[in-house]
Amino acid sequence: MSTPAVKPKAMIQDNTRCIGCRACMVACKSWNDRPEDKTDFFAGEGYQNPRDLDANNYTLITFNEIVNGPNPDWVFGRQLCMHCIQPACASACPTTAMFKTDLGPVVFDESRCIGCRACMQACPFIIPKYDYESFAPKIHKCTFCADRQEVGLEPACAKVCPTGAISFGDRDDMVVEAKRRIAEAPGTYIPEIYGLDEVGGTSVLHLSSVPFEKIGYITGLPKTPMPDLTHRWLRMTAPVFAVLYAIFGALNWIVRRRMRRQGHEGEHQ
Amino acid sequence: MNWRIRLTWWDKTLLAIVAVAAVIGFVRFATGIGTVANINNAYPWGWWVGYGIMTMIAIGGVGFTITALVEIFGVHRYHSFLRPAVLMAFLCYASAITMLMVELGRPWMVWMVLVSWAPTSALYEVGWCAFLYLTVLALEFARVPLEQAGWRRAFRIVSAIYIPIMLLGVTLSHLHQSSLGTLMTLIPHKINLLWWSDQLPLVFLFSAMMAGPAMAILEHLAAARWLGFEPRMDLLAGLARIEAWLVGLFLAFQMGDLFYRGVADAMFSASWFAVSFWVEIGFGLMVPFVLLMMPEVRETRRGLATACALIIAGILLHRLNVAVIGLRVRHWETYVPSFGEVGITLGITAAALFAFGWLARILPIHEELPSPETSTHSATHPAGAWRGAEGVS
Repeated sequence: MSTPAVKPKAMIQDNTRCIGCRACMVACKSWNDRPEDKTDFFAGEGYQNPRDLDANNYTLITFNEIVNGPNPDWVFGRQLCMHCIQPACASACPTTAMFKTDLGPVVFDESRCIGCRACMQACPFIIPKYDYESFAPKIHKCTFCADRQEVGLEPACAKVCPTGAISFGDRDDMVVEAKRRIAEAPGTYIPEIYGLDEVGGTSVLHLSSVPFEKIGYITGLPKTPMPDLTHRWLRMTAPVFAVLYAIFGALNWIVRRRMRRQGHEGEHQ
Repeated sequence: MNWRIRLTWWDKTLLAIVAVAAVIGFVRFATGIGTVANINNAYPWGWWVGYGIMTMIAIGGVGFTITALVEIFGVHRYHSFLRPAVLMAFLCYASAITMLMVELGRPWMVWMVLVSWAPTSALYEVGWCAFLYLTVLALEFARVPLEQAGWRRAFRIVSAIYIPIMLLGVTLSHLHQSSLGTLMTLIPHKINLLWWSDQLPLVFLFSAMMAGPAMAILEHLAAARWLGFEPRMDLLAGLARIEAWLVGLFLAFQMGDLFYRGVADAMFSASWFAVSFWVEIGFGLMVPFVLLMMPEVRETRRGLATACALIIAGILLHRLNVAVIGLRVRHWETYVPSFGEVGITLGITAAALFAFGWLARILPIHEELPSPETSTHSATHPAGAWRGAEGVS
């Protein structure tokens, strides 16, 4: 008997094809029923609005001014949940409210959430956000449109992208496709797929024409899955419990025996 | 038994702080966390977790440290420190859990941890262990009020299970004190390399052990002053010697870890991280270590109180450095605790202090203080009931 062949899905975010139209942001808001924001200008690098992801924005196109030769140039980047193959957020959740589905999406079940925000703290990409103003707050982040994927639809952002900057398919195929694009146009792309092996691999694969740290990406992340960091300690819990309890019990027994003997000697004197 | 006490100005001050915190707490529950707290999307954990939970659990380590010293390593001359230590630990854990109820976004769902299976989550282990350990501490301490109230049957039951429960408490403490550090090993990309180490579980366990004798000494000095008994300076000097060893070893471990990880030069970088590091190491470990190595300091109340207070403040700063100060997320994001955040933690701490002072006056917590001549353990120890379950006839 074989398990049903579930092939994990992935998306390519090809920033070289992005024109900054933000249709993906609109589609995302629309599908996830998020309210509008009051936008504002802020000082500093990046000219996108809003500045960062928040409880109302599950994805964001970043506008980065890159000085390329004599002229500054707009280079776009995108923020969204990376849907790690081994997600740190899900491993940190004490109630499995955050979990990874077979198809790939890392999703959040508010009915199990206690609101500890360990997932926010754990995420290497700083993705999960919180609605602190709410009486019953929830974790907010991109769901990889898990509900759409379940019925065979592609994520809303991939559906609406007018330039083909977002591609969706089986992860194996997407990796091949991303490598093909880099190989065919080495002048257009930097030879790096962000997400191929970051924190052990993710379900979103980013391509870019400039180094990722210049367009707001968090770089320098380990190539091994984050949950390994805690797992190597936590897996020792049961044996350590047994060994310590036995050692402490033995020492306590010796101590009490010594005390009893001293007590009896005292009586004989 | 008489539960009433005369409230001193000190009690009234503490209760006033609790009242102010209760108002802030009401606002928090009526309108949400965002109204009273500055924690944000970049710093989801702030002062509440750094002080209210992580530091409280650390100084609650006095319970298992003194219990292990007396019951497991058999150093019985410190037996008179056991009851205050267990009560302090109970109140620290109760404070941490109260803090958790304020800090969680959905505190009414907290039971979900107990019906989940999440062995990959350090917080899951901390949650289970802290819940079990609070129960253990309550059972350990229950003998004092039960005996005082004359409930013989309940007293006998609690006494009969004392040994396995006590062993369980010490074991659970080792697990969850280290798991609090495990929790932070998950974010090497956020914590400054002065503090992130894959040995953080051991660092957290050792610092909790280090809090033990320091808290025991501070409590003894404070109780002697407020309850009006003569402090046992001979015993305090002994505890201070143990504490000096713990501080020295912890300092060596911290430094060794920095060199082992090859990041020792970060100590001398021109950054606020390095400043915070040196304040923590200098005033929290080096100064008290030197102080406690001097016999004249170990023999004076003021010297002991200064050294131990520095150690506790150092542990607080260490936990804050790991959980809050040492974190960099996005360079434009900042976090400074709000009045509401600090106010609520002050209220919880004041409530714990008041509860300790109240229980210390209505229960025989400090009664077994034999004079130096009879301080070596004997079967006719006046606190026979306290160790009745140990089978000492």
